Amino acid sequence: MADAPRSTRSGPGIVLVAVYGLLALAATGRSVLQITEYFSRAPLAYVLSALAAVIYVVATIALARGDRTSRRVATTAITIELAGVLVVGLASYLATDAFPDKTVWSHFGSGYGYVPLVLPVLGLLWLRRTASRPASTAQAAGDPTG
Amino acid sequence: MLFPLTVVVLAGAVALLAIAGWYAARTRLVDDRLLLVAAVVELGVLVQAAVALAHLGSVPGDDAETATFAAYAITLPFLPPVAVFLALKEKTRWSMGVVAVAAFAVAVMTARLQQIWNLHG
Repeated sequence: MADAPRSTRSGPGIVLVAVYGLLALAATGRSVLQITEYFSRAPLAYVLSALAAVIYVVATIALARGDRTSRRVATTAITIELAGVLVVGLASYLATDAFPDKTVWSHFGSGYGYVPLVLPVLGLLWLRRTASRPASTAQAAGDPTG
Repeated sequence: MLFPLTVVVLAGAVALLAIAGWYAARTRLVDDRLLLVAAVVELGVLVQAAVALAHLGSVPGDDAETATFAAYAITLPFLPPVAVFLALKEKTRWSMGVVAVAAFAVAVMTARLQQIWNLHG
């Protein structure tokens, strides 16, 4: 099993799962509120906000499970997440009318300390790093629990 | 909102964050001291949730603010136990990262509760 993928939820991965879980919670909460309380104010922004919430939930579960299928699901979800935060981030500056108040991805996630911008990059790097573990890197890492 | 309670929860969360950072630096795992501080924070957010829900009617602002207030108050007590559970399962220094993330979230959400409460004096 020398080239078996490393678990995506151990080591640094557990912190990633925790942060994803927190964002999933925050995004879902905010999205439910936006859609139930004032959806008509900015339908496009709030639909994208709901999409972000779904993506975070999927990414959290996939990273926490970490089997082969989950890995693929996580990669897809996180790639969409990266595209989303970039597109929505840019759009929120160009079309301010469509984004009247903060969503997770607007202004590149500035309302959440830019965590939504940094997180997908870290997530993809982590998936890459854990994808396979040749003997040499396993030794170099020197991680007894790996 | 009870201001002294907010101060206690914030102080506990900051202490937990500091311990997590210190343990991560020294490669130490969850121990009694960390669990005790986490328990104090948990007790604080539980009382905070009870107080917050009892005073929901007098939350300043519109329905959305009341809903946010209630959601934060109810969510907060879930954070320390989940973080401690994950940290106990992860036997590397990264477990402290989970505790630190949760402690930071507790601090931010508690501050936000107080902020909503203070909206209109």
